[in-house]
Amino acid sequence: MNTVLSSTLAFGLPLFIIAIGGIFSERSGVTNLALEGFMGAGAFTGALFAVIIMSKTGWSSANVMWFAILFAALGGAIFSAIHAVLCVYLRADMVISGVVMNILSTALTAFLVTTINEKAFKIGATGKFHIGVAGKFTIPGISKIPFLGGLFTDIYYYELLIIVLAIIMYVLLYKTRYGLRLRACGEFPQAADSAGVNVYHIRFSAVLISGALSGIGGMCLAYYLITQFDANLFYLGYGYLSISALIFGSWKILPTLGACLLFSFVKYFALWFASLPGINLSSVVTSTVFQALPYIITLVALIFFSKSNASPGALGEIYDKGKR
Amino acid sequence: MEEKKNSEYIIEMKHITKRFPGIVANDDVSISVKKGEIYALLGENGAGKSTLMSMLFGLYEPDEGEIYIRGEKVKFKSPNDASALGIGMVHQHFKLVEPFTVAENVVLGMEGGMFVDLKTASQKITELSKQYGLEVNPNDKIKDLPVCIRQRVEIFKMLYRDAEILIFDEPTAVLTPQEIEMLLNILENLRKAGKTILLITHKLEEIKKVADRCAILRQGKLIDVVETKDVSTSDMASKMVGHTVLFNIDKKPIQIGKTVLSLKNVSYKKKGESVYRVKDVSFDVHEGEVFAIAGVSGNGQMEIADIISGIIKGATGNIILDGEEISTLTIDERIKKGISYVPEDRHAVALVLDESLENNIALKKMDTVQFLKGLFLKKSEISKYSDMIIDKYDVRSGQGRSTIVRSMSGGNQQKAIIGREIELDAKLLIFVQPTRGLDVGAIENIWKLILKERDRGKAVLLISLELDEIMNLADTVGVIYNGHIDKIAKRSDLDEMTIGAYMMGVKANG
Repeated sequence: MNTVLSSTLAFGLPLFIIAIGGIFSERSGVTNLALEGFMGAGAFTGALFAVIIMSKTGWSSANVMWFAILFAALGGAIFSAIHAVLCVYLRADMVISGVVMNILSTALTAFLVTTINEKAFKIGATGKFHIGVAGKFTIPGISKIPFLGGLFTDIYYYELLIIVLAIIMYVLLYKTRYGLRLRACGEFPQAADSAGVNVYHIRFSAVLISGALSGIGGMCLAYYLITQFDANLFYLGYGYLSISALIFGSWKILPTLGACLLFSFVKYFALWFASLPGINLSSVVTSTVFQALPYIITLVALIFFSKSNASPGALGEIYDKGKR
Repeated sequence: MEEKKNSEYIIEMKHITKRFPGIVANDDVSISVKKGEIYALLGENGAGKSTLMSMLFGLYEPDEGEIYIRGEKVKFKSPNDASALGIGMVHQHFKLVEPFTVAENVVLGMEGGMFVDLKTASQKITELSKQYGLEVNPNDKIKDLPVCIRQRVEIFKMLYRDAEILIFDEPTAVLTPQEIEMLLNILENLRKAGKTILLITHKLEEIKKVADRCAILRQGKLIDVVETKDVSTSDMASKMVGHTVLFNIDKKPIQIGKTVLSLKNVSYKKKGESVYRVKDVSFDVHEGEVFAIAGVSGNGQMEIADIISGIIKGATGNIILDGEEISTLTIDERIKKGISYVPEDRHAVALVLDESLENNIALKKMDTVQFLKGLFLKKSEISKYSDMIIDKYDVRSGQGRSTIVRSMSGGNQQKAIIGREIELDAKLLIFVQPTRGLDVGAIENIWKLILKERDRGKAVLLISLELDEIMNLADTVGVIYNGHIDKIAKRSDLDEMTIGAYMMGVKANG
């Protein structure tokens, strides 16, 4: 049972940092369905550099992880710039652009992994980058507490990074000049514009932030779930799960944390439940049902709380300065 | 305009001309404003007041002419440039972020450092609020505040930026009489504090009350600049309205029939607003009659049309069409009962711009047996019908009935709409601003069409901001002011000046 809680954090926190990325983009007014694609592009970039660094230096995968995360942030941000340019400057439809980004990311990373393996690494046309496992630690003593001790067991180092980053992002969004302007752009860009704020710059940078954070989250998930980057295994819809979480969390950071942890808990509770002796349900059935649960919860929440669940006022609204 | 020494004027706009496609919005306009005065700009809709002020605020650049601020020649590329010189503007539509607090809205764009210090900002707002007698709580959220307080927040935004020249665009349009009174006091206080105020309005009493001087514009030209204390409101009104050109329209004597439409005590308040858009309106429209509603824009006339057609729901009172209460019916049911509607905004409401002309013409009849065979549309019937309307109403377009409507000229779009609506053969035809933005030839054409329907015994409700349109077409005129129809009389018993006076609310409840 302890593993349920430790897994909840290990999986839920990467979801959370991806969802924060989504919050930044959407609260600046840019609809972002592309989190899945940003995650993939980031994880691909991070994994590529992890493989290169490991082969050149011989460092352990746990140490190389920090570089992988750094490059994942860069890769995600660069990839997200396409979405940003399309939506902010070229006034493309944000939903269509998001969907296209996801398809592009899946296809492009699958192609690049195989090609790089074959042409550059000369290891044949395999579709995987092996990145190994991330480092983790267990706090002695308190980890022995029944059930709750799971929170202090098998803590991955990236979880600490995500917590620090989340606090920084929280301060950035709610306490700084940038955050105030960003939120104004998402609520009523005309007001921001008339106050001398450059709506285009704010929105563009917000999408890049979402790309970088998605890349980080994607990299962590690649380490935690599959210890490799393989386009066939990676794109499981966790980007969409993050979108559900941020909608469920009403585009606010703290409630979104709750949503991510809830979704993650449900997922691992299901796996644990199915593994109990005497449970005769096939694990396929239970895990499918429980995997659908986050989306069902979000759907129900949207039906019942849609009034109080306030999306940013100008979400999805293309801003055109010339139009008054 | 007289020219004096530069130093006396804080703002000088010299020989300003601004053209938009099809119209000259400002034609060689020169005004000079002294520091510390309240300077009003008076004019009808489209007279060019807002355009002139938009140039002073940097929203547009003038095509010709020069602007001097404190004696220095300036060229504004954006409102930021104007802001930097201490010019602020309260727009008609407020630029406030609703989920933000007052303080957050005020500091937006002026945050100071990297972090937002709302405490200091709130203190400064409280100080300003004492200094100018403007009460407001910096921690209230905009979405919880009534319109008049929101307007104050806009004023705070200017004061927080130390603006010295304050432009107000129709500030009283959204306020109740008591709130107007308060606003005028605020303007007085601001003037006492040395601010220069430019007031765009078409309400004469306000000007008389607070303004020192008043520039009167008509059709883009500066007609006169008067000292408000020397001139009566009716003199100002006559200068503002001017004389209208009467087309030579052949109008037959009225053949009045039975009542077709009757409104009884209709009132309407938009959800969340405290002011009634439409107040206790009652009138009848008969067969063979053009009943026209005259009024300055924004006094509730557009809402009346939308209430009758069913676009606006939630009005109180009775709407009776041909002896039958229709206020609970849907838009579609009302169309079937015999209401045709040519709305003001042909792009937003009347047309599907990216569809073909024939589909637009057949739009309101698409679900009738004329065009339906089972689930499928009878394309050939639609084409035949639209060719008939195109021919009969002389709708000109590039590719005939298959032309995409967006590519057509405004006049031809309007002819297509009018043709569609007239051919519905409804009992009641509602025309709102039927000739807006059209040239003289097209106007005359449409007027003739409207009169033809009247002569065929249809009931026509005409809502227009153009006084000459009303003078030419109406048999009966109702004048609306602040949502209420103050005067209903035969067209023959009214002259333009009288209607103008009612439109301004100068004569009330006559």
